[in-house]
Amino acid sequence: MKERDDILKRKVQKVEVVPPEELAKLDEIIDRYEGRPSYLIPALKDAQEMFGYLPMEVQRKLASGLNIPSSHVYGVVTFYSFFTIEPRGRHTLRLCLGTACYVKGSKDILDIIVKEVGINVGETSEDGRFSLEAVRCLGACGLAPVMLIGEDTHGNMDPKDTTKILEGYQ
Amino acid sequence: MVTLTIDGVEVSVERGSSILEAAQKAGIGIPTLCHDKRLIAYGACRLCMVEVTARGRTRTMPACFNPARDGMEVATQSPKLTESRRKQLMLLLRSHPLLCPSCDACGDCQLQNLVHEFEILELPFSRETRHFHVDNASHFIRFNMNLCIKCGMCVRICDEIQGENELSFVERGMECEVSTDFGRPLNCEFCGQCATICPVGAISSKWLVGTGREFELKKTNTVCAFCSLGCSLTLGEKAKKVVYVTAPADSPNEGNLCVKGRYGWPYVYSEERLSKPLIRKNGSLQEVDWNEALSFVADRFKNIKAGSGGQSLAALGSDRLTNEEAYVFNRFVRTVLETPHLDRAAGFTYRGLTDGVEPMLGYPAGTNSIREIRDSKVILLVGADLTETHPVAKNEVIVATARHRARVIVIDAIQTKLTYRPGMHLATSPGSEYLILNAMLKWVLDEGRFDKTALALRADGLDELAASLEAYTADKVAELTGVPAALITQAAEEYVNAPTATIVLTQGMNRIGFNVEIAQAAVNLALVTGRIGKSSCGVHIFGEKANSQGAIDMGLGPELLPGFLRISDEASRAKFEKAWDDALPATAGLSAREILSGDGGIKGLYVIAENPVDTYPDRATVQKSLSDLEFLVVQDMFLTSTAKMAHAVLPVASFMEKTGTFTSAERLVQRLHPTFRSPSVKTDLEIFVALAAVMGKPSMTYSGPEQVMNEIAGLVDTYAGISYDRLAEGPIPWPCVDSEDPGKPVLYEGGFPRGKAQLAPAPNPAALAVDDLPFYLVSGILKFHSGSFSQWSPSLMEVCPDGLAEMHRNDLKALDLKEGDTVRLSTGDGASIQLNVSWSRRALQGTVIVPEHSSQVKLNTLLSWAKPVVKVRVEKV
Ligand code: SF4
Ligand code: SF4
Ligand code: SF4
Ligand code: FES
Ligand code: FES
Repeated sequence: MKERDDILKRKVQKVEVVPPEELAKLDEIIDRYEGRPSYLIPALKDAQEMFGYLPMEVQRKLASGLNIPSSHVYGVVTFYSFFTIEPRGRHTLRLCLGTACYVKGSKDILDIIVKEVGINVGETSEDGRFSLEAVRCLGACGLAPVMLIGEDTHGNMDPKDTTKILEGYQ
Repeated sequence: MVTLTIDGVEVSVERGSSILEAAQKAGIGIPTLCHDKRLIAYGACRLCMVEVTARGRTRTMPACFNPARDGMEVATQSPKLTESRRKQLMLLLRSHPLLCPSCDACGDCQLQNLVHEFEILELPFSRETRHFHVDNASHFIRFNMNLCIKCGMCVRICDEIQGENELSFVERGMECEVSTDFGRPLNCEFCGQCATICPVGAISSKWLVGTGREFELKKTNTVCAFCSLGCSLTLGEKAKKVVYVTAPADSPNEGNLCVKGRYGWPYVYSEERLSKPLIRKNGSLQEVDWNEALSFVADRFKNIKAGSGGQSLAALGSDRLTNEEAYVFNRFVRTVLETPHLDRAAGFTYRGLTDGVEPMLGYPAGTNSIREIRDSKVILLVGADLTETHPVAKNEVIVATARHRARVIVIDAIQTKLTYRPGMHLATSPGSEYLILNAMLKWVLDEGRFDKTALALRADGLDELAASLEAYTADKVAELTGVPAALITQAAEEYVNAPTATIVLTQGMNRIGFNVEIAQAAVNLALVTGRIGKSSCGVHIFGEKANSQGAIDMGLGPELLPGFLRISDEASRAKFEKAWDDALPATAGLSAREILSGDGGIKGLYVIAENPVDTYPDRATVQKSLSDLEFLVVQDMFLTSTAKMAHAVLPVASFMEKTGTFTSAERLVQRLHPTFRSPSVKTDLEIFVALAAVMGKPSMTYSGPEQVMNEIAGLVDTYAGISYDRLAEGPIPWPCVDSEDPGKPVLYEGGFPRGKAQLAPAPNPAALAVDDLPFYLVSGILKFHSGSFSQWSPSLMEVCPDGLAEMHRNDLKALDLKEGDTVRLSTGDGASIQLNVSWSRRALQGTVIVPEHSSQVKLNTLLSWAKPVVKVRVEKV
C-alpha cells in the first residue's frame, strides 16, 4: 500500500491566509445572498472580485454564511475555470489550444511560455506577473493562433513574437 | 397501479415506479452501476438502457429513472443494448486501473462483475492513467480515486440519506474526483455509507485492506448491539475473527448503519476484554477457573440468604441482555436468589417514558415503525438529538425533509443538527419540554382543532385533561420557558394541520425526572389530534441500548413479571409460579435507585452488564453503597469501574458470540446469530443456568435460547406467535398473538387493548426549582459513544477520545476561555468535575453540554435524584 501511495502523489494545495478583518468584508456578500443557495455562483463571483481569488477561508466563510456544505462550494469553485483558488497574476494569459490554433502553432507558444515565464497551465509566476490558462477555441479561429492577455486579443501570432508581446505587460 | 410487459412478462406496479423497479418485481435483472433503491435516480452510467415500445414507437431509455407506464412493452435484452452496454463498460475501463489483483473490492466489485458478464476481453483504444494518490488520512475510510467510475452514489448517499454533505465532485475531466473541500480528511459522521455503496473500490473501509476479500469471508447476519434501533448487520468472518461489518440491503435498515454499528465492533477483540473469571482474594481480583468462581458466588449468595434472607439480596439486570437471558435472569432472581429486588440501573429514562405511555394506551412501547417517519409531514423531536443518539433514525428525518417537504419541530435544549433542517427550534431549558407540549395541546383544545366525537369514542378523560391544562396558556409557558408564545402556537398549528405527524422521544434527554410528564404530554397531544393508530404518525420512543424494550417485555423491574404483568397481581403471579414451579415474592421489590441508595438493607448485589458507578446519578452515594456491600458480583465483558469494586467478576460472551433475540425500539423481535466463540467464553444465559444448578435449583435448566423463547411464547401474550423458525424468515413486530400473525408495525390501529385510551391530566405548570447558577448542565450523547460501553472500542476512541464540555462561543468569550482550556463545573452542592472545553455549534448560550458516556469525565458526580435539572458554575482552572 505504502508503495502505491508513494507512486501516486497528488499536488499539494497552497493555502494563503486571509486576515480576519479582510474576511469580515464577506459579510456584505453573505447578507446579499443569504437564504438563496442557488445564488452560490454570483456570490463566489462577487467574492473573487473582492479578493482576486478564493482561498480556503473565503470559501469556508461563504459556505457557512450561505448554509451550503463547504465540500460543495469547493466542488463548484474547482469546476469552473473562471474561479481560482490561488492568487492570479497581474495579467492573465488565455492561450487557445483549440484545434485551429493548435494546428497553427499555439503548442509552440505554450512551450515558449513554459520556458521563458516558467509557468505551466493553471499556474502563476512567482513574481505575480502572469497567470496562464488554456482555453478550447475562443471562437476566433480566423485569427488562429490566438492568445488573450487581460482584455487584449493577440491574433495571427507568430510563436517567435511571444517574448516580445509579453514584454509589453509588466 | 400500472401494468406493463417486460421481456414478455406482465407486471403491475404502483404508479410512479420506475421501469427498473418493475423489472425487479418481475424478477428480471437489468445491469446498473449508479442505482441504489435508497437514492434518487441519477442516470449517470447508462447501463440500464432498455428498449421501450409505446404507442407504436420504440425508443431506448434508462430504466432507472423513466417511470413505468400502462401498456409499455419493454425489452431488456437485444443485440443493440448489449453493444451499448459493452461500449459503456469499455469507456469506463479506459481510465479505470486494471489492478484488480491488489484491489480490496475484488470479488465485490460491480464493474468487475459486469465486465466479466459482458465478456470484455480487449479494449479497442489505448488507456489513460489517472494520478491520484491513495488517501489514507481519514478515520476508517480510504479513498483511491483512480478507481472511481463517477457513479455519484457516495456523494448522493452522504447528501440524501445522511444529510452530512461531506463529499462533492471536485475539479473537471480527468482531474475530477470525489473529495472534501481542499482534500481535507473527513470530519463527518463516519458512517461508512459512502464506502459500502461505492460499486468499485474507490472508497473502501480501511479495515478490509489486506485483511480479506468479500468471497473469503464467512457471513453471519445478526443485530447491532449498540442502540435500540436494531439495525441488521452482516458480520464477515475470516480465520475465526470478524474483520468486516456491513448491513444486508433487504434489512429493515435497508443497508444503512451508523458509525457504531459499522466500525464500533472491535471492542469484542479488545485486549482489555476479560477472558477468565476473577474473584477477590486477599484484597485483589485474581483469575480463577469457572468452577471455582461459580461455587464462590453461589456460596456467598447462599450464606447471605441463610443469614438474612433473600430480601437482603438484589439484582440489576441490563438492557443489553437478550430477551431469553433477561427472562431467565428474572426467573433466577425471583426463584433462586428469592428476592423481589430486581431492576435495571441504566434504563431509567426509557422506563420513565414507557411508564408514562402504558396506562394511557395499553403497551409500554413506541407506537409506530421507524421507517414510517419518512412519510410524516411534521416531525416533532422532543429532546431527540437523533443525529447523535439514533443516527439511522435521523436518516428518516433527512429523507422526510429533503424529499417529502416535511418540517421538523425541535423542542430541545441543544441546537441539534436537525434544527438546521426546514422547520423550527423551540430552544427551551432542560426539563421544560413537557410544558411546551402541554401549551401546544391547550391551543389545540381552545381553538377546537380536533374531532371531539371521534376522540370521545377512542379515549376517556378529556374533561379532566382540559381542566388541568387551564393554566397552560402559551403566554404563561412562554414566561416559564423563554420560548416565544407565537412560536409555541405556530408549532401547535403546524402539528395539527399536517396530514401525518410524528412525535419522537428518546433517551437522548437522558436525565432524571420529567420523563413520565413528557410521555404523557406527547401521548395526549397525539391522541387528541387523532395521531394514534395511524401510519406515519404516533409516538416513537427510542431507548438507549439494544434491548431497552425487551428488558421491559421480560419484566426486569421491581414490580414486573414478563409480559407487563404485575407481581402484586395474584393471577399473574400464579401463572408464573406454575410455569417456574416455585413460589414468587408477592410484593414489588426495591428499585435500582433504592438498591443503590444504600438504605435498602441490601447485603449482596448481582450486577449484569451495567456500570452504575459511572452512569448512575449520585455517584458518591452509589460508590458508598457498593463498597458497603458484603458481596458484589459483576457480570461484564470488561473490568468497569463497578467491576473493580466487585468480589467476583464473571466474564461474558459478546453479542457476536451468542444466540438469542433483541426487541428493538419499533418492537421488532430479531434473531442474533453467533460467529466463532472460544469454548472458554460463557454467555449470560449459560452462567445463570450454571449458577442455578450450583445454588441447588437444577430444575431451572434450559438447553438453549430457543427453548427459552418457546417458554416465553407460551407465557407472554405479545410474543405468543414468535418462534425461531418464524424469525428465520425475518423479524416480527410484537404484538404477535399466534403463529399466523405477522405482527403489528403500527399499534392500536384496530383499537386499544383496554377498549379505550386514557388521557392523562397534566401537572400544574411551575417554574423549575434550580440553583441560581449561570449554566444549565445538559447531558449530551455523542454519536460515537453509547453509554460507557463504547469506550472499550479502540476504533470509536480513535475518532472521539475525550469527553469535552461544549459551550457557546459567546459564553467562552465572556469567561475568557479558549478551546482546550480546562474548566471546573460545580453545582450548588459543591460537587464538581474537571474537563476541557470546546466551542460548539450545538451549545446554546447559557448551557454546557457534557457527554454522559465518559468514565473519565464522571458526569454522574453532578447528577442527583434530588435535583432533576442541574445548574452549574463554570470556572477556569
Ligand atoms: S462516512 Fe458517512 S458522513 Fe462521512 S463522507 Fe461517508 S457517507 Fe458521508
Ligand atoms: S467514489 Fe465510488 S461511489 Fe463515489 S462516484 Fe466514485 S465510484 Fe461512485
Ligand atoms: S443506529 Fe443503532 S442499531 Fe443502527 S447501527 Fe447505529 S448503533 Fe447500531
Ligand atoms: S481554435 Fe483557437 S479560436 Fe477556435
Ligand atoms: S443505473 Fe440507470 S443510468 Fe445508471
